[in-house]
Amino acid sequence: MSDQITFPDVVSWAVPFFIAAILIELLWIVTKGRGGRYETRDALTSLILGAGNVASGLVLGFIAYGFFMALWAITPLDLGTYWWVIAVCFVLDDLRYYWVHRFGHRIRWVWASHVNHHSSQHYNLTTALRQTWTGTFTFMMVVRAPLILLGFHPAIVLFCGGLNLIYQFWIHTEAIGKMPRWFEAVMNTPSHHRVHHGRNPRYLDSNYAGVFIIWDKMFGTFVPELEADKPRYGLVHNLGTFNPMRVAFHEWVGIFRDVIQPGLTLRERLLYCIAPPGWSHDGSRDTSDTIKQKYVEKTPAARGSPGLPPAE
Amino acid sequence: MPLGILLPLVICGIAGIAVLLHVLGRSKPASLVDEHAARAAWSDEFPDDPATTVVLSHDHRAALLQTRKGPGLVWPMGADTTARFLTDAKITQTTTGLRIDLPDYTAPHIDLRLDPDEARRWPALMEQSI
Repeated sequence: MSDQITFPDVVSWAVPFFIAAILIELLWIVTKGRGGRYETRDALTSLILGAGNVASGLVLGFIAYGFFMALWAITPLDLGTYWWVIAVCFVLDDLRYYWVHRFGHRIRWVWASHVNHHSSQHYNLTTALRQTWTGTFTFMMVVRAPLILLGFHPAIVLFCGGLNLIYQFWIHTEAIGKMPRWFEAVMNTPSHHRVHHGRNPRYLDSNYAGVFIIWDKMFGTFVPELEADKPRYGLVHNLGTFNPMRVAFHEWVGIFRDVIQPGLTLRERLLYCIAPPGWSHDGSRDTSDTIKQKYVEKTPAARGSPGLPPAE
Repeated sequence: MPLGILLPLVICGIAGIAVLLHVLGRSKPASLVDEHAARAAWSDEFPDDPATTVVLSHDHRAALLQTRKGPGLVWPMGADTTARFLTDAKITQTTTGLRIDLPDYTAPHIDLRLDPDEARRWPALMEQSI
């Protein structure tokens, strides 16, 4: 069994490309006067969170890698390093990404890690780098276990994950409208991902795809970008700070404060951790489902349109 | 990529982009054109609690709103805005206006630039929730 396989850390090698692409996008916006917005402190926060993500990977990466190598040691399967194995792994890892991402929006414990990626009210290439520092603590590494047990070497799986992340960089832009129809049909694009970042009720909890948008179409979470409902970015309740530490940890603090409230049952304390974001024991807060419901009650004509509940 | 290259690249990249944005005039805080804009900004955060009255600051950078649930504030977050109710707020006079401390990890304090008259009047309007 091949234990000593190494693949390049593609994300760190892509850093010069990230910087160059941000400068090109900024130049485009400044010269054309359209195609997105940049703000100094917002961009700085995004970039610091990106750097922190790389640092947290260096510090905590051994936990996931150790877990993967332990699985690799027990699996009797080894698919090798053929090009087609890497291609199949890339597609399957993208399916894995879809589900981890969906869990990231529907389970508060995982949302606590992912929320910072959605915390900017801007949508530009720096937003792509606004990544988590606490991904290890979500334990979502277990979703990769089937790939390794099927015989994909951990180095290949992590290589494919890196490529997936790099693909998703360029779709965080308003400078690109729509791609050719065939491309929009199969691939995740700036248009599809703008929808995912939208805080408009219809766009909440949609378009979880990483590379291939087909997963959303298969699993019923696809919502197209509508000209009449331009995405507004950020969180349902936007942050009042640019402090990267507060951005990175605020939902974990929120969970902690909710869980230690006096007078709750054990079940309620657990639900504050694992129920969808916005769940509360007394119904005083809104989940994405209740936000959509309230929206169609106020705007009945929108009922049944993409991303919104159908007529009762 | 070796850490010896990656680290300077990341530090210089972040610093360079931040300086460039500032030089390009991308650090200007949001401005609330009128009361309608302030109401819209509030409603964007709290659609179920519409504002009944709005008081704009002299420089249109912030707005104090009254709602059925108590007073709230809209203030700039860079080129955008955010809003919070002022429940359990601690208000302190500063040389440039008011400092609001909230028991909210996501918005721990707000520095409001107000003229002396506003700085005198606003605390009374905010008191309702304190």
